[in-house]
Parts: sequence; structure tokens; C-alpha cells
Amino acid sequence: MSLRIDFGIEGGFAALPGLAKPLRIDCADLSKEEAARIEALVRRADIFHLRLPAHVASIPDARTYTIGVDDGSQHRRLRVEEPIADDAMRELVAELRGHAARLRRAGTS
Amino acid sequence: MRRDPFPRHRHRCGCCPIVPPELLRRIAQNGTKPQREAALATLATDHSLRFARATAQLLGGPARRITLAAAEFVPYRTIFDAGHREALPGKAVRVEGQRAPRDVEVNEAYDGLGATFAFYADVYDRNSIDDAGMPLDASVHYGVRYDNAFWNGRQMVFGDGDGEIFNRFTASLDVIGHELTHGVTADEANLVYLGQAGALNESISDAFGSLVKQYKLGQTAAEADWLIGEGLFTRRVKGVALRSMKAPGTAFDDPVLGKDDQPATMKGYVHTTADNGGVHTNSGIPNHAFYLTAIALGGHAWEVAGRIWYETLRDRRLKANATFRQFAVLTVTTAAQGFGAAEGKAVAAAWQGVGIDASMGSRRLARRGDRGAP
Repeated sequence: MSLRIDFGIEGGFAALPGLAKPLRIDCADLSKEEAARIEALVRRADIFHLRLPAHVASIPDARTYTIGVDDGSQHRRLRVEEPIADDAMRELVAELRGHAARLRRAGTS
Repeated sequence: MRRDPFPRHRHRCGCCPIVPPELLRRIAQNGTKPQREAALATLATDHSLRFARATAQLLGGPARRITLAAAEFVPYRTIFDAGHREALPGKAVRVEGQRAPRDVEVNEAYDGLGATFAFYADVYDRNSIDDAGMPLDASVHYGVRYDNAFWNGRQMVFGDGDGEIFNRFTASLDVIGHELTHGVTADEANLVYLGQAGALNESISDAFGSLVKQYKLGQTAAEADWLIGEGLFTRRVKGVALRSMKAPGTAFDDPVLGKDDQPATMKGYVHTTADNGGVHTNSGIPNHAFYLTAIALGGHAWEVAGRIWYETLRDRRLKANATFRQFAVLTVTTAAQGFGAAEGKAVAAAWQGVGIDASMGSRRLARRGDRGAP
């Protein structure tokens, strides 16, 4: 089964309800190259076993990303706050941000 | 001319022996070669308050803050290019006094920091974010198509926008004023970024962000647009700005972004765990109270309404976990004691207008007769 990811963006400079609502990114709907890239980033970020750092204090206007990943046998839901220290996670979030923006655009065009 | 009701006083943190950037600049100009190099490296690489304090100790600097007259305050700005990476600060591309390079974002950030510094110095006699000459740093071109701006506790960070929803974040002066005011708030009341205190933190940034723009444009309260982030949206978005202090909940209504859900009064207060308890949503309530105060008092909003909010932020009775009502009570007390009964009543009426009764607590505080500011 291909990966399915629910991705939402909270906060940032403004509350934008449309971006906060999680959006489904299904790798089955992506091109082979795009799906392979996301799957590789999810593996690199070690999503299913990752231990997130303890929450200390939020940075004004920084964003929190809600990420739910399901590969058919495992599910993990994370809240990832900026700034993101882990390189792999930062890269994954940037990739998901791009896909989410394209999907939102396509959904309203 | 009205007597200044709030004579100059230093901020309430009494912990700060620091070397002002001016001293570092003098060393950079007049010291020995190693001293010059060390001072330049300090100015260019790490302007954080903590580092400045450590530097002061190393150099055997003065054991007290150096008090300068407002006319002597000078900004020290450094703009970094993050090179589309998410590592800070990036490469220094324009420092104070250098000519403008051919980079719109760099120059907008430089000018916006300058306008915000000038606003706080001229209007509130405040010497930068920490009232002790803290250099102002900003990184532009952060991340790839990154559509946000934030204050990380040491510097400002600007994305270029994604070009679809957001333009570059340096385009809006009130956004720059907003971010730097987060630094001022952290230095004064240090309001926690959660729930009502977090929404107050946001609202204070919006209020002073808007005032920075109004001051730059010379607008009265009645002339100002009271919008936050006007010009940030691309033409594809159905909206005029990110927030409206005049009419919270009306700034945008767009198929992708959804509808602006800021409440204007306590009746619409949103209980949520998202966004640190809705800090960017419920800030609409104190935002609107500030707007109502400014309109009621008239004239240039930075002179009386802004001064009341500024002195309240500096009041040692304002706790880090303050509620809307506790903040409101302090603003009413500050207005009545600093300006007069009419101003106190106007502020109380503004809070009443958003569903917060601040009159009872303020009378009790006034009877005690103490002033919070040191």
C-alpha cells in the first residue's frame, strides 16, 4: 500500500483556517518520481520511530505542522514546530508544503 | 505642550550590564588591529543580547546601562541573505550605513528595521528592542518559497512568499514592526505565547506594527487603515490583508485560505488548542479594543492610545500569564493616572465595547495608588 499523509499548517504570521485544515496527500495519486521522493524522505526522517524534542516554548509567529502518516500497517501523527532542527524532517516538511500548495490550488481552479 | 506623564525610565529588567553597540563600533574604528577585528566580528556575527552581555563582561564594560538621550540613539542593522536555506542567519549582505544593493528584500528589511527603530526612539524614547541599543538583525530569502515571517528571539526572519498566495514578507512595514515588537514584549512583560497571554502578545505586536506604519505615513487614527499585512497577498487571493483591527473577521474570505475567523468581541472568543490556543485568532479582541481606544481619543494614535499600551506593557504588575481582563484593567489605570479621568473612561469604554469590564479592577488598583513602572 502506498503512503498517505495528512498535512496541516497551524499558526505562522496569521491564522489561516484553510491551511490549518489537514489535506490528504496520497502517494498513489502522485507521479512515480514524486511518490518515491516523499517515501524516501519519510524513511529518512524515520517518522514511525522518531522521538520529537520536548516542547519548550513556542516562537512568535513560527508555524506548527501537523503530519499524519499511514503506510497501511503503521500510523503516526506528529506536531512539528519551527524551527525544525532535523535536516530530514525539515526537507520532508518543505516537500509536503509544496505538494499541499499545489493540491489546494488544483482544488480551487 | 502636554507634560510627559511617563518620564523616561529604564526597562524593568535590572540584570543587564552590556556593552552598547556604539562602544563596539568605536572599538572597531579606533582600537588596535586585533581589537578592531574582534569588534567587527562581534557586530557582524552575533548581536544577541546574551552575547552582548557576555562581551561586556569580557571587556570589563560598564556595570550599568549607559543612558543616552533619544537623539543619540542610532540603529545598527545587519541584513543577512539566508540563500533559500533554513539555516540562520546566512551571509551578511548589508550592514549599517552601507549602500543599498540590488535586492528588494534586503533593502525593504533594512528600511523597515530603520523605520521601526526610529518609531520607538522618537515616540517612546526607547533605544532599540531591549532599550539598550540592541543591534537589529534580519535574514531574508529564508527557505524555498517560504511564506511566513517570524521573530526567533534574536532576529527577524522573512520568507520570499510562494508567489501563489503570498508575496515577499518584507513588503509590509507593519509586519516588520510587528516582528520587532515581539522582541520588545519579550524584553518587557515576556508574555507567554499561549492562550490569552499569547493573544495579548500578538495583539501588542499588531498594535505597534500598525503604529509604526501610521507614524511613517503621518496618519491620524481616523485616517489609518488598521490593516495588518496589507500587500502580502497576491492578486489571486480574495482578501485585503491578514487581519483588520478596525473590523476583525473581515480581512479575507478565500477558497484556499478560508475565512478570516478573528472575533471582535468576547462573544466570539474561540476555545481551541490549535495555534497555541488561538493566539492569532483571539488577538482580534484586544486588537479591536486598541482600535476603539485610538478612535475615541483621536489624533495620532501613537501619542496617547499607543503610549497607554506601551506603558502598560512596561508595568511590572503585568504578569507573563496575564488575561485580557488583567491587561485591560492596567490600561485603564495607566490612562487615568498618566493622562486623566477622561482618558481612563475612554479606555474602559473601549474594553466594554469588546465585552470586557475593566472599570472595577482599575478603581481598586488606582486606590492602591502605586505605579508599576520602575
